[in-house]
Amino acid sequence: MVNFIEILIRGVMLGSVYALVGMGLTLVWGVVGIVNIAHGEFVMLGAYFTFWAFTLLHLNPLLSAAFSIPLFFFAGMVIHKRITERLVREQELSALILTFGMSILIWNLAQFFWTNTYRSVSYLTGNFPFMGLVLAKSKTVSFGLAVGITAALFLFLKYSKWGKAIRATSQNSEVALVCGINTVKTRALTFGMGIALAGAAGAIISLQWVIFPQMGGSYISKTFAIVVLGGLGNIHGALVGGFIIGILEAMVTQYLSAKMAQIIPSMTILIILLLRPTGLFKK
Amino acid sequence: MKTRFGLGIILVMAFLISVPFFATDYWITLLTLILIFAVYASGWNLFSGLTGYTNFGLAWFIGVSGYVSSLLIADYKWLWLFAWPAGALFTGLVSIGVGYILLRIKGVYFAISMVALAEGTRELFGTEYLTPITHGGKGLPFVAGIRLPTLYWSILLVAFFSMMICYKIFSSKFGLRLIAIREDEQAAETLGIHTTKDKIIAFILSAFLVGLAGSIHFTYQNYIDPTFAFNIHLTLTPIVMTLFGGVGTVFGPVIGATLFTLIHEILWAELTLLYMAIFGGILMTLILFFPQGLLGWMKEKRILPRIRKI
Amino acid sequence: MEPILRIDDVVKKFGEVVALDHCSFAIESGSMTGLIGPNGAGKTTLFNLITGVLQPDSGHIYLKGEEITGKKPFEIARRGVGRTYQIIRIFPKMTLLENLIVVGKGKERKMVERAMDFLRFVKLEEKKDDYASDLSFGQQKLLSLAQVLMIDPQLILLDEPAAGINPTLQNELMASIHRLNEEGKTFIIVEHDMNVIMNHCQNAIALNYGQKIAEGSCSIIQKDERLLEHYFGR
Repeated sequence: MVNFIEILIRGVMLGSVYALVGMGLTLVWGVVGIVNIAHGEFVMLGAYFTFWAFTLLHLNPLLSAAFSIPLFFFAGMVIHKRITERLVREQELSALILTFGMSILIWNLAQFFWTNTYRSVSYLTGNFPFMGLVLAKSKTVSFGLAVGITAALFLFLKYSKWGKAIRATSQNSEVALVCGINTVKTRALTFGMGIALAGAAGAIISLQWVIFPQMGGSYISKTFAIVVLGGLGNIHGALVGGFIIGILEAMVTQYLSAKMAQIIPSMTILIILLLRPTGLFKK
Repeated sequence: MKTRFGLGIILVMAFLISVPFFATDYWITLLTLILIFAVYASGWNLFSGLTGYTNFGLAWFIGVSGYVSSLLIADYKWLWLFAWPAGALFTGLVSIGVGYILLRIKGVYFAISMVALAEGTRELFGTEYLTPITHGGKGLPFVAGIRLPTLYWSILLVAFFSMMICYKIFSSKFGLRLIAIREDEQAAETLGIHTTKDKIIAFILSAFLVGLAGSIHFTYQNYIDPTFAFNIHLTLTPIVMTLFGGVGTVFGPVIGATLFTLIHEILWAELTLLYMAIFGGILMTLILFFPQGLLGWMKEKRILPRIRKI
Repeated sequence: MEPILRIDDVVKKFGEVVALDHCSFAIESGSMTGLIGPNGAGKTTLFNLITGVLQPDSGHIYLKGEEITGKKPFEIARRGVGRTYQIIRIFPKMTLLENLIVVGKGKERKMVERAMDFLRFVKLEEKKDDYASDLSFGQQKLLSLAQVLMIDPQLILLDEPAAGINPTLQNELMASIHRLNEEGKTFIIVEHDMNVIMNHCQNAIALNYGQKIAEGSCSIIQKDERLLEHYFGR
């Protein structure tokens, strides 16, 4: 039974990170109406940012998120204004292909400049005991950071002026427009936030796992599964979805096999889209 | 104009048929690959280009058909002549069920569900449970006893056949109904169009053609494994090719396949390291500035007539 | 004689909201009936139920005596029900001619002839090769009507046909509708403009909050107190 708790905790910790990635994607999808296939690449860039800041500038990885988040936010807004805003009313294929092209561009540039060598941020090593279990420090701190950022996100969306604008635009952009909300600016802001969340997730991931240019790809299918589970644009749903996928992955890897765990995202997507396409949760 | 067009086609076909008699293996191989992908692209365009349902799971058709025909050749000693259509027919049949279930899903969700199908099948074929049949992750090398020229002529025939089908359908009422589905599916339904039936027929046709080319593709490679067979690149490349040439046009996919392969060859030769990055950039530029592709642009500028037949 | 359309105790809910609340009425063949009521009264929902786009939670719908409850939209359309939408839904990237041909059944040549007939009927025959998206708002409405006529319906549901077009075009449109009515086609027309209803329809049905609050000939409806209250705030 102790084994089970350990697996559960592992799943929860995994899930916290997945949820962060998922929330970023679903936020953009719901408000801007664009499926950002390159979302995983921004996670990768976030991880590399932390790595290079740590390696070259000796910046404490726990602090680098304080720098990368605003940077990614602004980068996201610029990318949106120049590129993705144009596609807002186009058919979905355009956004899919555009972001796919962006994804290829980014990870190949990363590969060109930084090579395929696996990198890691060895800042928090070792374990510590907790209630009879052994937990890795890096994973625990990552979990804490993820929870913290998620909480900040929810507070922002609930109480700030822009947060309310985002929620309004997500529900009905035409009505929002009529209410005087600057939907263009809101979309840019949201896209920036999405990218910032991806970058933050990347920073957190860099603490626990290896970093390499193509890592974005390994996140994208799980992220889609989370977004589909939670429902398009539903941030709360993505949060829960992230944990579900994380726990499922931990369980299946332990009790069946790692290979079987790979099928989870695809199966989840198919099952949900067939049975409850709007996601498990009501908005 | 019609006779000039027909004459042009005959000349092109005559040239293509004669290629194995004078060209080197390099060129025959290159053309073979162009033709395979031209069929992939045309097949994709036939369904997605007309109905607007973005099929992001083309690799599924390719992989399923590829596996059926390759296994028939390798494990059951079938002749390639029968194994290929068998693979395609199997894929067509199974796609009836898949289409019936998945075509209820609309928009981006459909695209995602098709990716999930392809990816899921890829993972599934690699698991321990299916290895007895699929030879699992270690793959299946095999020889089909066919020479390159014969293979080339086979895919040339399939490509010609596909183009004819596309030509007929695009200018038919069936084609118009598919476009109506893209324009406004619900309105089409309330006007008496049986959208489900029309969608599924187009889907099956697409599955068959793409599957047939897939069978030939893996026989050509003399090898198949799950990562290779259900690879996302097999989905994305034909789509990008169609975008180059013009989505929803008859000859867009073929022209796009040729253009793409040429650009690919040039970029690869000159700029190997940054090739993919540049390719990503080209993709983005294409979508932002030329979403209608070459033929679409030519029709807009009235260089080409705005008819459905091309 | 069997009414062409019979709505029998139909209920439709969207979550907690009751869009149609035990609605019942009958439409006589060859009539022109107005469907009136404030926004959100359930008029478009009713159209969606009749055309099969939505299914009622309970109740039955009969077309020419046959039950069509739960049938798919294309089946109902093929049984002779045509419908236009409040927000025009034609096929923008197809030509006018294609917009009509795609809907028709049978041989191509005959289809083209019929399509041209209907284009002439709405006076758009010269634009047959133009893209539907190039038409003006009013012309698109006419195209929409021509499209519906292609399926040879006996019952035609019009959702705000007169909205947003100038009075001259409005009169032409209503004149065309009367001609079709004289040929035996039944019309149900949703309109906010009471004058249109009063001047052109024999009967009217009034809905409010999903309930039928009045039904009868237009002259009677005009004098009904409750309705006047709702519309004119008296």
